[in-house]
Amino acid sequence: MGIAQKLADNQKQVAISEFFEKNKHFLGFDSLARSLITAVKESVDNSLDACEEARMLPTLRIQINKIDANKDIIEMKTTDNGPGIPQQSVEKVFGQLLFGSRFHAIRQSRGQQGIGITGVVMYSQLTTGRPTHVRSKIATEATASVVDIGLDTRKNKATKSNAAREIWEDENGELVEHGLEVTCRMKAKYQKGRQSVWQYLRMTSIVNPHADITFIDPEGEVHHWPRVTERLPRVVESIKPHPRGIHLGQLQRMCNESQDSRMTVFLRGSFSGVSSRSAKELCEASEISEKTKPKGLKPEQMRSLLEAMQGEKTIAGKPVKLLNPPTNCLSPIEEMLIKKGLSKTIDSRFISTMTRAPTVANGNPYQVEVGLIFGGSMAADKHVEVLRFANRVPLMYQQGGCLLTKAIEAVNWRQYGLEQAGGKGLPKGPAAILVHLASTNVQFTSEAKEALADNAEVMEEARKAIMEMGRGLKKHLQKKKKMAKTQEKFELINDILPAIAEKSAQILDRPVPDLAGSITKIMSAVISETQTTWNKETKMTDVSVVLFNYTSRARSYTILCTWPEKFGATLDNNELGGRKEATGVWAWKLATLDPGERITLSYSLGGLEKGDWTETDVFYRGSQEVIGASKMDEKFLDEIRQQEKALREAGMDIIETRDNESLLDFESDDEPTEVVPDEYDQPTVEAPEGQQTLFGGGN
Amino acid sequence: MVKRHSPEETKVAMHEVVAEMYDKMVKGEPPSMTLPVRTKNNIGFDSKLGVYKYGKKRSTRDATSLGSAKQLLRTLHVVEFIEQMIDAGKSSTLREMYYISESWGMGKFGTQNDSNNLAEDLEIVTKCLREDFKLRPEEDGARMIGNLTLRERNRRGEWMTINARDDVGDSGYGLPYNVEEEKIELLEHDIDFIMAIETGGMFDRLVENGFDENYRCGLLHLKGQPARSTRRIMKRMSEEWDVPVIVFLDGDPWSFRIFASIAYGAIKTAHISEYLATPSASYLGITSDDIMAYELPSDDLSKKDIEALNAELTDPRFADTWWQDQINMMLDLGLKAEQQSLAKYGLDFVTDTYLPEKLKELGLA
Repeated sequence: MGIAQKLADNQKQVAISEFFEKNKHFLGFDSLARSLITAVKESVDNSLDACEEARMLPTLRIQINKIDANKDIIEMKTTDNGPGIPQQSVEKVFGQLLFGSRFHAIRQSRGQQGIGITGVVMYSQLTTGRPTHVRSKIATEATASVVDIGLDTRKNKATKSNAAREIWEDENGELVEHGLEVTCRMKAKYQKGRQSVWQYLRMTSIVNPHADITFIDPEGEVHHWPRVTERLPRVVESIKPHPRGIHLGQLQRMCNESQDSRMTVFLRGSFSGVSSRSAKELCEASEISEKTKPKGLKPEQMRSLLEAMQGEKTIAGKPVKLLNPPTNCLSPIEEMLIKKGLSKTIDSRFISTMTRAPTVANGNPYQVEVGLIFGGSMAADKHVEVLRFANRVPLMYQQGGCLLTKAIEAVNWRQYGLEQAGGKGLPKGPAAILVHLASTNVQFTSEAKEALADNAEVMEEARKAIMEMGRGLKKHLQKKKKMAKTQEKFELINDILPAIAEKSAQILDRPVPDLAGSITKIMSAVISETQTTWNKETKMTDVSVVLFNYTSRARSYTILCTWPEKFGATLDNNELGGRKEATGVWAWKLATLDPGERITLSYSLGGLEKGDWTETDVFYRGSQEVIGASKMDEKFLDEIRQQEKALREAGMDIIETRDNESLLDFESDDEPTEVVPDEYDQPTVEAPEGQQTLFGGGN
Repeated sequence: MVKRHSPEETKVAMHEVVAEMYDKMVKGEPPSMTLPVRTKNNIGFDSKLGVYKYGKKRSTRDATSLGSAKQLLRTLHVVEFIEQMIDAGKSSTLREMYYISESWGMGKFGTQNDSNNLAEDLEIVTKCLREDFKLRPEEDGARMIGNLTLRERNRRGEWMTINARDDVGDSGYGLPYNVEEEKIELLEHDIDFIMAIETGGMFDRLVENGFDENYRCGLLHLKGQPARSTRRIMKRMSEEWDVPVIVFLDGDPWSFRIFASIAYGAIKTAHISEYLATPSASYLGITSDDIMAYELPSDDLSKKDIEALNAELTDPRFADTWWQDQINMMLDLGLKAEQQSLAKYGLDFVTDTYLPEKLKELGLA
């Protein structure tokens, strides 16, 4: 072997561990505690993505064992019920860096934020010298394939050993139909508390309400987060890149690969938001002939084209007008599911959630979702718990430097009922605030991908959403106060007053007086009582609103109620009719109520599960205040109408009802959906030091 | 004017209260009860009686809020209860009434204080006395030592003659809760004045030092804020025997109020001030001058103390210059002291030096 070859080999050898050392921080292995969380995260992300692509409800099991406490050796075993990986692909998935379907398409994906399971295999090998044991069963085969995947540090290749097939039975002795199990050891520390595996899985379960997660900790304690819905997340479509958000390297690659014969065809076909007219204008602004072949573009032409796309090169002083990219590439968690996820995990009195309409920043579609949960057993004298998520992945570190935290801090919480020292910083109170950013291109503060980078537009969108939560909280607290007062009044006229009448009559030996007049004078109010209850027999949610006129004059009102129209519910048994006021708001004009009279408004909601809809907001239009309802806020209605419009335009106005989704509807003859396509685009993440993969093999 | 009522008169008076509620309901209005306002904003000096009484301000308790409605219900229960006692010839303590109220369902009392206050409300509105309602207090009556003789009718109905020096032990004679003529008759005395003392410690000190003998006085232990019976007996002794009453208390804002209740009438019992107050009583000490002059061991005034002093500045009972000066002096000094702090100069200082000097100023030694 020549010296050059020897040197080259040595260089490669140094390259792997050196690569790892140099990049431990952004790979997620910089501390022993963090390493374990990264390992869990990669595994869980894979499982969730695989199940979603196969349109299956994920059931995950994560087990952590302490192997050697002195040397900090931990064993992690994760099992999922996903489609499994075909034997021939196992090596690629586990042994090849940046391999997978997640990296190439522009759509919302968890995978943007990780090096993949390969990083875990690498770390495991480097710290314990042991390979990772993989057991994979696909539906079309009778047995599962098992193999140990390791890393040959001298040859820089993935190693396969002990490949075999075996029968895989679960703890009940039943055959596992399909699934994946990964076992590996690594040098890591298991810790409890805020930045722990437990917290990570807890947060994951909140934003993946369709997932069933079981965690067995080193002490053998079992933590179970059951699924709260059988609805899978929306199928996301890939979209083409948008000119505003593209960068030079990407543009160069696209031009080089394009087979199109002219620029205009290339522009219209390879990008989103480009019409025929815009295509022509882009050519004009960048001074490139429309007939040019994209493949033949020179470097300075590409730069010029990029500037035209960014709006720096203009036509008559104005940048080329482009359409917004489509936003159906996003899969938000959805308000009602966030609510369910939060309520299952945190004990509380009040939950409010909101999914904003998707919008665009720098050519990238994004969507903000927020949730606020209040009351219950949370500590009132501590800062609120902040739950941050990007593309359904929990963010556990760098809370202070994150855009989402800053959005929370930028709200004046004191006007909504939470303490906030000096009006700055995180509020204090028995509450937790959830913020989720879904986007095709999430910007982080650093390579470590722990916190979101500052962005004025996203910050404002998040802040507005969070303020809505605040308003909801304020109303809830006011309502509670008012309701307490109403309860008192009811006790007064139903219990105390009659007792006074009887006893005074008894003492004076005179007849008991009639109380009608006194009651009216005591109450001198119009009261409404609302009940929202789940009807076991009809499997519907029954709502009734009773209005009492305890004033001395006749009153007329229009009553408006909120209902979950957006989630596919139906409004039935509605005898009084009424009409739609806005999406999710129905109005009834009631007949005039005489003094002392009462009227009942009732209806039922179908298409919901128990616990989906537990509180109805009641509003009124009328001159006299109604205790137990709020005066209709016309601004609130306008906001709803605006959001309606935006959602309609994004094609997201009505969520499919659950009948569309079914579990495991594979026939055994069908090919299971492959997690790994045979052809794949090169990843958009730049490999370090010019190397595409570390392990060799593959492309 | 306060007077005792017969059982029939008592019932009639109580029925008027009930009737106010009943008539309102019949008219289609929420039931209510009207009473005099019982704060310092509604007490005024009655020059004929020489004491402070409630003014004309009235407040109405009605059934528009849950709290007041419950009070009205309780009032009815109490009226019924008192009628039952009158008919059965029994009496009960306020504490017993509080416990009996547990069986009144929604009308039960929250705290003992609520029960006491309601009894007072009824007294005021009906112009009856607690004794007419057959209600007795829990309070301890005072103790007395001195060369004075009285007759008490014991529980067997027999009259016992008692001299408060020869016929009693070192704790003195203990006053019963009822010190009216049917129970206590004041016979004769050989004292020049009565000294009312706030603390038990100081009372015992004076007893041990034989102060009552050396200075020809009657010693009376107030036991802090004096009970009605204590104030009543002081008034009776002061009037029937024509002896001055000197009051010797700690030097703090609460003691000022104790003195005011003895001499001018307590705000809570302003409806019967003339019955309980001794307008001729004098305040001996501890004063702020004493604290300064004798450099007595003292404590800083707390926030509550300062608030109390400021409230007293606008209390009509402390409106005269002497009191205004005293109160302002204490505020400026910022200190309060106990009467027992005189022991700084030895156990006998109070009887050998302090009191004789003070009594000389008052012309009694």
